[in-house]
Amino acid sequence: MADSVRAQLLARLRAQETETEPEEIARALAALGHAQAARAPHPDVHTAFLANVLANQGTVELARDRGAAVQAIGRYLYQRFRTHKLVAGNDPRLAAMPWRDGGVLPRFGAAEAGDAAALSYAKLGVAETGAIVTFTGRANPGRNNLLPEDHLVLVNREDVVSTLEEAWVRIRKDTQAGNWPRGIQFIAGPSSTADVEAQLVLGAHGPRRWHVILVGDTPTSAVDAARESLAAAPL
Amino acid sequence: MKLASENFLQEASAALNAQEKVARRNLLGQFLPLARGSAASKYGDFDALRAHMKRVRRHTSEHLSHYLQQFEEAAVQHGNQVHFVADAEQLNSKVLSICQAHSARRVAKGKSMVTEETGLNELLLKAGLEVLETDLGEYIIQQAGETPSHIVGPAFHKSLAEIRQLFLDKHKLGERSLETASEVVEEARGILREQFLAADVGIIGANALVAEHGTSMLVTNEGNGDLCANLPPVLIVCTTFERLLPRAEDAVALQRLLVRSATGQPQTCYTSFYSGPRREDDPDGPLETHIILLDNKRSDILASDYREILDCIRCGACLNHCPIYIGVGGHPYGWVYPGPMGSVLTPLLTSLEQAQALPNACTSCGRCAEVCPANIPLPDLLRDLRQEESVQRIKPARWRHGLRLHAWLLRQPRLYQLSTGWTMSLLGWLGKRRGAFRRMPFASGWTGQRDFPAPEGGGTFMRQYAGRRRGARRG
Ligand code: SF4
Repeated sequence: MADSVRAQLLARLRAQETETEPEEIARALAALGHAQAARAPHPDVHTAFLANVLANQGTVELARDRGAAVQAIGRYLYQRFRTHKLVAGNDPRLAAMPWRDGGVLPRFGAAEAGDAAALSYAKLGVAETGAIVTFTGRANPGRNNLLPEDHLVLVNREDVVSTLEEAWVRIRKDTQAGNWPRGIQFIAGPSSTADVEAQLVLGAHGPRRWHVILVGDTPTSAVDAARESLAAAPL
Repeated sequence: MKLASENFLQEASAALNAQEKVARRNLLGQFLPLARGSAASKYGDFDALRAHMKRVRRHTSEHLSHYLQQFEEAAVQHGNQVHFVADAEQLNSKVLSICQAHSARRVAKGKSMVTEETGLNELLLKAGLEVLETDLGEYIIQQAGETPSHIVGPAFHKSLAEIRQLFLDKHKLGERSLETASEVVEEARGILREQFLAADVGIIGANALVAEHGTSMLVTNEGNGDLCANLPPVLIVCTTFERLLPRAEDAVALQRLLVRSATGQPQTCYTSFYSGPRREDDPDGPLETHIILLDNKRSDILASDYREILDCIRCGACLNHCPIYIGVGGHPYGWVYPGPMGSVLTPLLTSLEQAQALPNACTSCGRCAEVCPANIPLPDLLRDLRQEESVQRIKPARWRHGLRLHAWLLRQPRLYQLSTGWTMSLLGWLGKRRGAFRRMPFASGWTGQRDFPAPEGGGTFMRQYAGRRRGARRG
């Protein structure tokens, strides 16, 4: 059944197309170019990223280095859940962090139904949309992004790109050796719904809170600048 | 889904009389266009983005066989099983056979208009499977035994009070207040979470298929589609070939258009690209994935003059901007797709004869085409369908004769001007006292809801126009 449907469909499509060499199609496609990215809320890419994370109902924090990131995570967990527990993927970058200094007790692996908080180390941050990008796999099981109450994300300063097109340039580079991940997830906010009388409610099926920690030497004024740029152009 | 478009006029009249629902739709009809307008202007040159997407679409459809094969090849390489099906019945039985092969009992579904189109749930339920819609809006209408009234917000027609009562009846959870939207969402979250964890099969749709990578793009805010794609051991993606785009960058352009046009957000919470089953040392994800590509008359549409409707990205903007849709809501349209896009798609995917009322439910105001991110000339397509109704003699004889008479009159300018002039004077005289008519012969449908204003003095537009031109020449 399926084979003949396939053959028939392709034959019908071909009957309407002018036969073109694949190289020719590729040239025509390249000539179309790419679309423009959305206007940024701030000229500085990191400030724009932070502003869009905030616009997406996320919370932000800066950490100078990984040590400071651990401290920040410890504080967050204690304030939210009075706990030090956390689930995180088997990301070598996460394994190498000084957890004990911040009093955090991570469990490495896939999130389970009862896990309150999960941590991901993002591949990328995208300033245009305030999204972080993760690949599913050992380093970040897909369910870790979805099951917990709170999703914490670390993203390195140098991994923040300005547009979605730049994000795809990086993704292509990272997946060259035929190691295409099962899923590539762009996450921009806690899960939300507007299905009840068009009122926005956070925490639909996935995380209720989404906390992004930008790791690297970012001036502390960047967060204020991000807030100001949002206030100037409320979303 | 069963077609009920034949009753459009009766259902529409009934809908116009339900005051509370009309008021809520009016609010949506104000709020959603505002949100879309502001998001589009914040983006920058939104029209340039629309034009770019149109060029990409044209290129893709000119080489569809190429991109379809490229997609298939990449998807198979990732470990997917790709199935081509011709119609609703084939899609439904394919899904059922996959479920049965795994002795599945529970199915968790993300939002999928394609499976609404094929009426998949009905078949699965009949076969004894538990099928649960997980998009909150879809879940609400599934519990209520209703059909979607909007392609983005399927339960927009329901008030919080109605949803509250529905949940109190359906969920046996004892006394609770359930008075806010948050409480309602919280309750659904708890119930659906268990289902995600217990489901044997997940079913989702796709917002785009990326040919170069063999991936399907899924855009959601709730994260329910992603849970369906990540938790159950078997994943089925039900989609259609017109979702194909050549490159990831093209999916990105679509994402920019779709989200702003649909909800006025610059970005949804989740935008995922799924490629297949779990990799060798992956700790999670489905073990088996299927992609089902449905034709269901789309290759006919592609070969017709209506092909541009296949560019539709299901954003719902044309619904939100349509005075008819906002007036009567989604249900009178009688099938899966309402509003302007539905009035084009329904006759093409089902039957023009049975859906003949829909292309006529249009005032040609043109707002839909103004905002459609895919630049689909919806009013033109609707006009062409109306013409086809005449050619195929589907329109009622009274309409056809009336139109023929009108066409004849238009071709006699003198007689036309005379007769419209007389009619106006007569109406003006008859309605002098009240300034409006409460009832008129042949127009009870119109005057049922409002008064018809009596013409004021000054003559027809043509007469006034000619007078002014004469005046201008003299002055
Ligand atoms: S026809 Fe255009 S406006 Fe309407 S849903 Fe489709 S893409 Fe959106």
